[in-house]
Amino acid sequence: MPWNDNSKPGPWGAPQPGGDDRTKGEDSGPRSPWGAPPPPGGRGPSGPGGPRRPRRPKGPSGPRPGQDFEALTRHWRERAERFFRGPDGRGVRPGAVAVVAGAALGLWALSGVYIVQPNEQAVVTRFGAYVRSAEPGLRVHLPFPFEAVEKVSVTNLQRTDIGGASSAADVAEESLMLTGDENIVDLDFSVTWRISDADNFLFRVADPEATVKAVAESSMREIVGRTPFESIVSTGRARVQQQVEQVMQTVLTSYGAGITVVEVQIRAAEPPREVIDAFRDVARAGQNAEAAINEANTYRNRVVNEAVGDAAAIRQQAEGYRERVIRQAEGEAARFNQVHAQYRLAPGVTRDRLYLETMERVLRESNKIILDGNGSTNAPIILPPDAFQRRTAPAPQTPATTGAPAQAPTTGAAR
Amino acid sequence: MNRRLVTWGLAVLGVLILLANTLFVVGQTEQAVVTRLGEPVRVVNMVGRNTDPGLKIKAPFIENVAKFDKRNLALETDEEEIIAADQERLVVDAFVRYRINDPLQFFRTLRDQRTANDRLERLFNSSLRQVLGSAASNDIISARRGELMRRTAAVMDRSAASSRLGIDIIDVRIKRADLPPQNQEAVYRRMETARQQMAATIRARGEQQKREIISAADRDVAITVAQAQQYAGQVQGEGDARRAEIFAQSFGRDPSFASFYRSMQAYENALARGDTTMVISPDSAFFRYYQRGAGGG
Repeated sequence: MPWNDNSKPGPWGAPQPGGDDRTKGEDSGPRSPWGAPPPPGGRGPSGPGGPRRPRRPKGPSGPRPGQDFEALTRHWRERAERFFRGPDGRGVRPGAVAVVAGAALGLWALSGVYIVQPNEQAVVTRFGAYVRSAEPGLRVHLPFPFEAVEKVSVTNLQRTDIGGASSAADVAEESLMLTGDENIVDLDFSVTWRISDADNFLFRVADPEATVKAVAESSMREIVGRTPFESIVSTGRARVQQQVEQVMQTVLTSYGAGITVVEVQIRAAEPPREVIDAFRDVARAGQNAEAAINEANTYRNRVVNEAVGDAAAIRQQAEGYRERVIRQAEGEAARFNQVHAQYRLAPGVTRDRLYLETMERVLRESNKIILDGNGSTNAPIILPPDAFQRRTAPAPQTPATTGAPAQAPTTGAAR
Repeated sequence: MNRRLVTWGLAVLGVLILLANTLFVVGQTEQAVVTRLGEPVRVVNMVGRNTDPGLKIKAPFIENVAKFDKRNLALETDEEEIIAADQERLVVDAFVRYRINDPLQFFRTLRDQRTANDRLERLFNSSLRQVLGSAASNDIISARRGELMRRTAAVMDRSAASSRLGIDIIDVRIKRADLPPQNQEAVYRRMETARQQMAATIRARGEQQKREIISAADRDVAITVAQAQQYAGQVQGEGDARRAEIFAQSFGRDPSFASFYRSMQAYENALARGDTTMVISPDSAFFRYYQRGAGGG
């Protein structure tokens, strides 16, 4: 029996391939090496566990860490032999083999138990062929060589960024696009999508994530290529997003990709960096124009209101003038009327009196030169210059009636 | 005992080798061609026909299996510079979606995926040039892109079928159709100048409005003042007319006295301020008594 040969490495290095699990339980002989010492120590000598073991301090029964390989192997081998060897120290204890085989079988069966999370959907394949889908919960599939399970998240939203995930990491060749009017726009966008059909997602299309990205890029460029630049950077964004979403969904559905496009979002749509100054200048021009108009309005408000004020002043002055001249005229007329009434009673006397009184007032205030023209010859009469001098203040020149030359003013009074 | 063990071991080994050569697994996403001594004999899990993936059996040793992908596959092509019908150059970057729909033909003509990709790429390039080369650049960029993509796919599909590749072209999609870098510069220049033009127009419009507003304001000012002056003239005229009327009424009763009276007033107003030098003849009326004495009158 192999167990008698334990001192040889044979049982551990037995050349049986892994496929012999299927022959389990029929004959404990050939498979006993596999059912041998339960983990963890069982593989120590030959597996990768060996070098790891010395790092962990063991109980008093274990070998000291760092002790040589040989001692470790021997220790575990002795334990295994104690477990399997019959009470008489010979042969194999059948019970022990059954326990080990049963445990291995149980573990193997348990490997088929799996949990599908609430946001997931599971797809079970038997020898690679699709057999069923599984909803969330605790599920079982046939263990390893027969069935396998693949879980995909169906409610979680996935996001694919195109043109760089952020403005700092801009990918120019993804984000620069030709627009419908042959301008170039720098556009970054994201696609949010989810898996709507797990088995289609897994089986119909190769590399679905890359497919989403490629389709997104192609659809966006198709739509942008049909849309004028102005519309993309300003008001038409929502429409572009919607159209891209439609095109993407149509294409992905035609591929049977099992993907639903939830949203296409344009994160930034700007003129390319090379021309952005010119675009900003347009915005500035708008501000400048506003400013000019505001200035003009300020001016208008000032001058128009001032003019209304001026106009009111002119009107008031005119009305004042009218009132004044009428009143004055009425006053004068009244005065005349009264004087005239008295004059009619004694015309001659009043006339003379008025004349004399007036002349009296006039001559009292004036410089006077009295010349007797009757006795004069033809010779000119020379008057001293100061005769024309005002008695009080500097006098304006007044030409003499007889043509005497007006002289430069000098001080002195003439009477 | 040792001999028995060796015998058993050899037997098991033999069975395992036999099984490994008899059984094979075809996954859900795969299709397989079984060949007997190099000659294809049957197809497993072929697209659209017998969908039967799973564990399969073949005759050991004399039959071999070649597996191919069954899914919708992508072929990303390199950027291609093509010349459109209007001689404009465009850099086109596209991808092809295809499926191996006849693994038998595929196996006969192409053998493996790498050869297939090379072949497809060449096919794609010629189809793309054929279709896009006869279209105007504007159509490629915008107006008829969808149609051109469909046509490229159709052309490609036809030639794939005629050269018996066993491949079905599902879709051709142009990712990028851009101008080459040197033309991009020209586009930037055009965009820039267009914007400069726009900015200048906006500024000029602002200036235009400013001037319009200012001149309208000036006009309003002139009109307002003129209207006021018109009214003022009217009102002053009324005043003057009324004054004339009043005087005419009053003085008209006795014109000669009025004339005398008014003259007196005028003399006084004009001469009685002391700034006048008068040269008077003593024989004026005022000096009647002054010169001739009391009986002078």
